[in-house]
Amino acid sequence: MPLEILTLKTIGDNAGAVTVKLTGSLDTATAPELERQLAPVLADPIKDLVFDLAQLKFISSAGLRVFSATRKTLKERGGQTAFIHMQPQIQEVFEIMKSLPGVAVFKDVAELDRYLAARQRSHTENQ
Amino acid sequence: MMLELHATPEEVMRAVETLQEFAQARGLPEKTVFGLALALEECGSNVVNHALQRDPHKKFQVVIESTDDTFAIELRDRGPEFDPTAAAERKSQADDDDRPGGWGLQLVRRQMDEIRYRREAGENILRLTKRLVPAAGVE
Repeated sequence: MPLEILTLKTIGDNAGAVTVKLTGSLDTATAPELERQLAPVLADPIKDLVFDLAQLKFISSAGLRVFSATRKTLKERGGQTAFIHMQPQIQEVFEIMKSLPGVAVFKDVAELDRYLAARQRSHTENQ
Repeated sequence: MMLELHATPEEVMRAVETLQEFAQARGLPEKTVFGLALALEECGSNVVNHALQRDPHKKFQVVIESTDDTFAIELRDRGPEFDPTAAAERKSQADDDDRPGGWGLQLVRRQMDEIRYRREAGENILRLTKRLVPAAGVE
């Protein structure tokens, strides 16, 4: 099963957060492609990156490693990686890295939007 | 069922898809199919990336077997002797946040009931077994 990657620069009022929608399988064969496509996204000074996993059907540790590297990059600049719409089986694989610092998991867009709005306020206050 | 595969990530996923079809045809629940696919993906990637160094000329075998109450996946390669179960033990002792190295085997352990490694006649043989729970209402 291939992986489709869709990068959206702005969602709702939360300009500055980038959403990456993944469809299909994030595995040993497709993880390198995600890594390649994330490189230019992370080269921008973004602080929040959201992975939308509504259509992700399969994930292995190769996929978790890409998420983990992204988390590390953003954490180093005071940013955060968030995950939304995780299916139950994906969630189970995810348990392994859910507790890591710099990872946030949300069930839907409303929950995510509240969180991002709060993050935007704190970025602005810090400037 | 026996698959002969080249040492590439794409071939690992070809085996995973074959396993998924086989397990679905056998009527296993989606959650079980996912777990079996994950176990094969992780162990197959290990063989390709470590034992065979992603050399597409090299080959490895995957055997998929199922009885009424078990599902077994066996991986065989002719790479250097390597016991992934022992390697993971060593790694987890030095584990920290930013070293996801041991995640693969942790995931396999969660999905399978038994993981056995043996070295035999120049081959690494890793056998993963899962006990199947009979579906409610059957019988």
